[in-house]
Amino acid sequence: MLSKSQARTFFLGGTGVFSAAFLALTFDTHSRIPARTHTEAITPAVARGKRIWENNNCMGCHTLFGEGAYYAPELTKSVERRGKEFLRIFLKDPEAMFPGQRKMVNYHFSAEQIDDTIAFLDWCGKVDLNGFPAKPPLQKTIVPVAAQQMVVTSTREVPAIFTEKTCLACHSLLGKGAPNMVMPNLKGEMVAVPSLDEVYKRKSRPDLVKWISNPQAIKPGTPMPTLVPAVVSTAQVEEIADFLMSLNPSAPPTAAAPAANAPGSAPPPPAPAPAAAPKAN
Amino acid sequence: MKFKSQKIAYWFFASAMLLLTLQIVYGFIMGFARIGYDVLHDWIPFNTARAVHTNLLVVWLLTGFMGSAYYIIPEESNRELEWPKLAWFQLISLLVVGVIAVVCYHLNIWEGRKFLEIPRPLDYLVVINVLCFLANIGMTLWKGTQHTTTAIVLYMGLLFAALLYLPGMITFDNQTVDSFYRWWVVHLWVEGVWELIMGGILCFLLIKLTGVDREVVEKWLYIIVGLTFLSGILGTGHHYYWIGTPKYWLIIGGIFSSLEPLAFLSMAVYAVAMAKKGGRKHPNQIALTWSLGCAIMSFVGAGFLGIAHTIPPVNLYTHGTLITAMHGHLAFWGAYAMINLAMIAYALPQMTGRKLWDTPMTSWAFWTSNIGMVGMTGALAAAGITQVTLERRMGIDFLAVQKEIEMHFIGMLLAAALFTVGIVMFIITFFRHGLPSDEAVGADVAGDAAWAAAKS
Ligand code: HEC
Ligand code: HEC
Ligand code: HEM
Ligand code: HEM
Ligand SMILES: [Fe+2]
Repeated sequence: MLSKSQARTFFLGGTGVFSAAFLALTFDTHSRIPARTHTEAITPAVARGKRIWENNNCMGCHTLFGEGAYYAPELTKSVERRGKEFLRIFLKDPEAMFPGQRKMVNYHFSAEQIDDTIAFLDWCGKVDLNGFPAKPPLQKTIVPVAAQQMVVTSTREVPAIFTEKTCLACHSLLGKGAPNMVMPNLKGEMVAVPSLDEVYKRKSRPDLVKWISNPQAIKPGTPMPTLVPAVVSTAQVEEIADFLMSLNPSAPPTAAAPAANAPGSAPPPPAPAPAAAPKAN
Repeated sequence: MKFKSQKIAYWFFASAMLLLTLQIVYGFIMGFARIGYDVLHDWIPFNTARAVHTNLLVVWLLTGFMGSAYYIIPEESNRELEWPKLAWFQLISLLVVGVIAVVCYHLNIWEGRKFLEIPRPLDYLVVINVLCFLANIGMTLWKGTQHTTTAIVLYMGLLFAALLYLPGMITFDNQTVDSFYRWWVVHLWVEGVWELIMGGILCFLLIKLTGVDREVVEKWLYIIVGLTFLSGILGTGHHYYWIGTPKYWLIIGGIFSSLEPLAFLSMAVYAVAMAKKGGRKHPNQIALTWSLGCAIMSFVGAGFLGIAHTIPPVNLYTHGTLITAMHGHLAFWGAYAMINLAMIAYALPQMTGRKLWDTPMTSWAFWTSNIGMVGMTGALAAAGITQVTLERRMGIDFLAVQKEIEMHFIGMLLAAALFTVGIVMFIITFFRHGLPSDEAVGADVAGDAAWAAAKS
């Protein structure tokens, strides 16, 4: 059987060998990190964003690279998931975006601080993480909104807002956006986010405008955020309403509609026009 | 207790009990926030509660380790502590730094990296503090008339823990590098050098409590800590899968971290075997119960629940979910909380001369707290598995999934209440021992001398 001094040799020898191996690998890792993490893209804004991240201990609620706390969403791909515009509005006043939800601290950031934070998160999202976060294997593949194709069945022009994530971060529309999203309302009940395809069946145009302008006023506690006027202008609301109503195959022709789309005529053949050019994030 | 200066350990243990109580309070704040009662949000947001909860955990465990060292090192070296007054200074300054850190967290001042939240200037005070501690016990060990393996392993664990704290103090602009070195502290502590500390303390307790020959116990100690480093150093790789470090860490981390449970398994087997082999029925059975409980629960929490999510194909989905929280709770409890409580259960009667070792409350404290902690772990496991399935595998939105798992947190809070009852009983027993007394110095409280005489 092993003697005590042999046991000691095993301990000291093993520790020495494996510490040396670890140091060698550390060295090698350092030489590969610049390429994997795009160190050249660490601009002063990204570095400032990292300080903001640390000085507020965002990691005490969120995870980043899967590290941190499990109370709030993982943020590595948040820019890709939500888009910069959404995050900009969100960080200005987190509660306004998701009223009645689990709370985030409102840090009263300045516009520059918000930009720095987003720059940092954007950089994080581009680091090569060996496949984390994984695509959910049991879910249909989700294509980023900007890259999705919309099957446009209206002769109206698609409002620019539907080329971004704003509404389509939650809703689906004509095959684009987030399918089957479920969100809790103020009371904690689950609400399915309806597709906007056939909303003309459920709402009149004035109701639609009222709803988009201030959903809380119509249905207090609804998880649909109030986006007007911070994110969406009243003019845009009109445009959205026009477009959504025009999806009705029996909608009366509008000034913008060509004559071929007259009442009584068959619904226009789906003209698969690609959505307007993706907005660069 | 052989030496008067060992009494200082009492005050370290008492402080540890105070910090543990506070840790639990902040745990409940988070637990309630998770079931929708985030009523303290404006004063104590979740990130504050969490930083306080985990930092107090680390600080009370370290305070307990220091207390244990102040008790064990003089006893093993066969001399008084070199500078008893320095030990007092060190305790008080540690607590002051701790209080400042906790206040800072409530004012949104921190370094903001998980487990290393304390503001950088305080880091330097911690370093000075730990240097005082290491100098004090180091000098005692150096000048002692005997240098036992137990004392040396314990000292090495504490020394390396201090050294590994340093890489955590460097600032980087690259989040990947930042995280890389954060793990040198977090992982190499709990799955490396702290195991030396735990092994040293466990070894001391087994020698005292089972009466097995020191040479045998210490030989196995070397083998166990050898296994720890053999697997644990490269096992750091299990934190380098998804943070921007090269892909080879998936293989290295996967293989070596899968070997880590071996060290915990051998610790458990060794403790049980020594207890069976030892010819002595020590009167302080509850200290032995805590020691064996520690060896077994650390295997369950760290070894079994660790390997459950350590291989890359599993970790890809469980990484950063409540599965990690489940493992974190039982691992910290089994390995490091229980070793401290075992040491306290052993040392208190020695320091105070009061033999409260077989009152019903002592075993109630053991069982209630352990059953409570296993219940908490079970609830977190249920929540974690649901989260992984719905969010990570089916792609359902984070907040929607959190609503689904709220009920598991009600279960967790009930189990936490049971756990807390156990801890309260432990603390009541602690204070019923009264203060350490000079009369206990040299007094043979547990009949060690009589037993040694009978043996020879
Ligand atoms: C007290 C906990 C807490 C802290 C601290 C916190 N957050 Fe949040 N955060 C949340 C919660 C909860 C959400 C989910 C949305 C909501 O309900 O507001 C969220 C959502 C977000 C989102 C939107 C994510 C998405 O996918 O919709 C971003 C971006 C974000 N937080 C960034 C930050 C940053 C940056 C910091 C630090 C400056 C921070 N958070 C600090 C709790 C927190
Ligand atoms: C954060 C997610 C979210 C965003 C962003 C969002 N919505 Fe909604 N929306 C919802 C939810 C959830 C409902 C269902 C509300 C309910 O039933 O309480 C809803 C309902 C609606 C309805 C009513 C649908 C019906 O069938 O009655 C319309 C119309 C609507 N949203 C339009 C919009 C438009 C236009 C935008 C962009 C300007 C938008 N939404 C952005 C979540 C969102
Ligand atoms: C007593 C010893 C241990 C303690 C106290 C402990 C504690 C912890 C804690 C607190 C974390 C979360 C860390 C963070 O995210 O900052 C963690 C993560 C982890 N631990 Fe342990 N651990 C121990 C041993 C082990 C062992 C032996 C294994 C493997 C066999 C293991 C596997 C893991 C893994 C894979 C993670 C990462 C989880 C993730 O990806 O989110 N642990 N551990
Ligand atoms: C008794 C009541 C307790 C409650 C209610 C409680 C609750 C919690 C909660 C809610 C979290 C945060 C998880 C998240 O990020 O969402 C947490 C984290 C943590 N707690 Fe506790 N806890 C308690 C006791 C303990 C004890 C006794 C220990 C150690 C022995 C402990 C160790 C930890 C650790 C290590 C973490 C960090 C986990 C990680 O990051 O993976 N807790 N606790
Ligand atoms: Fe680890």
